[in-house]
Amino acid sequence: MSDRLRTRLLTVAALLAVASGCATAPPPKDLTRLVAAQPRSILVVPVVNDSVDVTAADYFLSTVPVPLAEHGYYVFPVNLVKRLLEDDGLADASLVHGAPTEKLAALFGADAVLYITIKRWEAKWILLSTQVTVEVGYTLRDAKTGAVLWEEHQTRQYASDSGGGGLIGAVVNAAITKASPSYMPLARQANVQALAYPGPGFPCGPYRQEYGRDYQPAAR
Amino acid sequence: MRPRVALALALAAAVSGCASQTVYHWNGYDEALYRHYRDPAGREAWVEALRTTILEAEQEGRKVPPGLYAEYGYALLEEGKSKEAVVWFEKEKAKWPESRLLMEKMIRNAGQRPVQPAALTGPAGQLEKLP
Repeated sequence: MSDRLRTRLLTVAALLAVASGCATAPPPKDLTRLVAAQPRSILVVPVVNDSVDVTAADYFLSTVPVPLAEHGYYVFPVNLVKRLLEDDGLADASLVHGAPTEKLAALFGADAVLYITIKRWEAKWILLSTQVTVEVGYTLRDAKTGAVLWEEHQTRQYASDSGGGGLIGAVVNAAITKASPSYMPLARQANVQALAYPGPGFPCGPYRQEYGRDYQPAAR
Repeated sequence: MRPRVALALALAAAVSGCASQTVYHWNGYDEALYRHYRDPAGREAWVEALRTTILEAEQEGRKVPPGLYAEYGYALLEEGKSKEAVVWFEKEKAKWPESRLLMEKMIRNAGQRPVQPAALTGPAGQLEKLP
């Protein structure tokens, strides 16, 4: 083995070690487009639900306005928006998601539109416990161009615990969790984590003091 | 379960990029909306929650969250109280310039076509049709 090859192999090994050590930290997102668009208001449209639980979409929708408004943006009244769209024949959220963003946003006078899709909202038996999962995707689009300004994907889970030890305790707890899984805390966590900035989220909006000062360009 | 929820909330507060104290007086708005969707028959509780939150915020000098005046106005419109609804749409519009276009639409429609009290499904055709 030549010295050169040995050096190269060692470098690769070192890089692999580093990569595996911090594999959980994804690269910073390119938010150039979002920052350039300077949205002040966000229209949250009804949630598309790919899970089998029909109630998930509305339940999830109820968790979105608080963290988003606290992030400094004007958030259009989600229930009013949902009702208006329903009255307009768009009760099916996938129709809303399929409509051109520019036209949709123009109806409401929004700067950006947030599309949310629930991928999983489920409680499953796994061995002697119940695993509860909420998995959701977010896409923020520019009102003028329809271009994607920001995207994020979150999975939140918890498992029923052992119930103080013993097989019976674990099984009983698993059954209780299966019967009434606590999805809402997971949904809220997903939103908070998705919006966290610096992190997977995006800079604060005009109704926060941090507005215009917290942006960290991804290129370093 | 409770310790876990508390832990989740603490974690959520910790990872949030923005400060922990809320900007707005929400007063369990998200909970109220969740319950409204879970039990549509309990609509009055939702409307009452909106009213209380707005009143409390104004009395305590805290900020009313974006959208709340409009949601309350819409609830009144659903009950056929167009004139009262307009008052709240005006408030939303005055407080949040971002809402102007939508609120002007709501005000125009509320004024033009009185909504029947029975129309609890909501006044149809508030928006222009999407293509």
